[in-house]
Amino acid sequence: MNLRVIKLIKMKNFIVLVLITIFSINTKAQIVKAELVATGLTCSMCSNAINKQFKNMPEVVRVETDLNTNTFTVYLKDGNTLTPESLKDKVEKAGFFIGSLILTMPFNNVKAADNVKIDAKNTSYIFIDTKPQTLTGETKVKVLDKGFVTQKEYKKLTKSLSKYPSYVQNNDNSFHLKTL
Amino acid sequence: MKYIFVSFLIVVSLNISAQELFVVTEPASNMPTGAIGVRIAQSLMKEKFKSGYNYHLMPEIMWGANKNLMIHTSAFISNRNRDLVTEGGSVYAKYRFFSVDDIQQHFRVAAFGRYSFNNSDIHQDEINTMGHNSGYEAGLVATQLIKKVAISVSGSYEQAVNNTTVNKFPTNQSNNATNYTLSFGRLMYPNKYKNFKQTNINLMMEFMGQTLNENGKSFLDVVPSLQFIINSQARIDVAYIKQIYSSMKRTASNGLYLKLEYSLFNVTK
Repeated sequence: MNLRVIKLIKMKNFIVLVLITIFSINTKAQIVKAELVATGLTCSMCSNAINKQFKNMPEVVRVETDLNTNTFTVYLKDGNTLTPESLKDKVEKAGFFIGSLILTMPFNNVKAADNVKIDAKNTSYIFIDTKPQTLTGETKVKVLDKGFVTQKEYKKLTKSLSKYPSYVQNNDNSFHLKTL
Repeated sequence: MKYIFVSFLIVVSLNISAQELFVVTEPASNMPTGAIGVRIAQSLMKEKFKSGYNYHLMPEIMWGANKNLMIHTSAFISNRNRDLVTEGGSVYAKYRFFSVDDIQQHFRVAAFGRYSFNNSDIHQDEINTMGHNSGYEAGLVATQLIKKVAISVSGSYEQAVNNTTVNKFPTNQSNNATNYTLSFGRLMYPNKYKNFKQTNINLMMEFMGQTLNENGKSFLDVVPSLQFIINSQARIDVAYIKQIYSSMKRTASNGLYLKLEYSLFNVTK
């Protein structure tokens, strides 16, 4: 074998290695940022109650708040294993509810389409109402499950998304995502 | 008189939509889980049948036990017998059992109960387990918040017992009553929020009534108030309590009411 071929093989190995690494990161499907609208409040003291709940979480890097829209942007540490449920729990502990939750998740070559399931450390995610596409890089997805949209919106979604059996079942261990 | 103001003290919890942080009644919402609120309420009511003022001081500690339950404990101190004397205390719990929330609005219902003890003399028809009577109270409160306005109604049953073996409940008076309240609150400032440090100003108007179940005697008070929320963490309420009408004997029904409150978040899990 000449040097060139050896180099090529080395390169190939390197690429495979990189791909494996990417793949394993991918399966972690972690949340790096959460943009959340809370319902049931207008005052800054109420927003502060939610703000303090988030700031008390070890996984949280920082929280940005828009007091006029009750929107909280929560930045999470790399490698965290938080699920949407833990964010919901915090909002409800403050005495309020989630009206909308948009997650930013880094994907690497994930073939998203209806009913495609991806696993994360403590949970799994299922794409619904999503056109077939390949997701790469930080991607925004909206959580459609009960407790993550307003009560009115959930009623509408149970009708419009009735063709997705897992969505209707409302299983606590998986979350349904729509790409934005 | 004093009784009245006392009742309202209990009321407010922190951290709810500020417009519903009423001064003399309690909304259906609770404090955040794990938060502790410290409150000092004071009232200065003009005596009707003698000269001077009746002063009441009511320190109170509040705790958000979980997302639906909060617990208060208070002490009752007054100058009824010239010197400032601790006359009693109370335990209060409120459980929110219904919530329909939407963007910047909610409708919530809670049940509440209070047990109080007090060693003072009983000297009026009005029953008030917040600083005047030993006894208990149980009721329901419903609160609607829509953007900058909150409206709350409550109804409760209040039962008085003997204050002490010496200060017994007079046998010729009704020892139980029905209470009802109606509260309005509106956020006046700011029009647009900038940050958590900005002071919020709320304007409140509250009505409190009581009917004695055994003889039908009743009263109705109106309580206008101004509320300042500082740093999204502290509260100053200034209110004036004014009797609209009364067919019962009350010894000091009009006066000033001042409440200071501070919340500490995430104190317990």
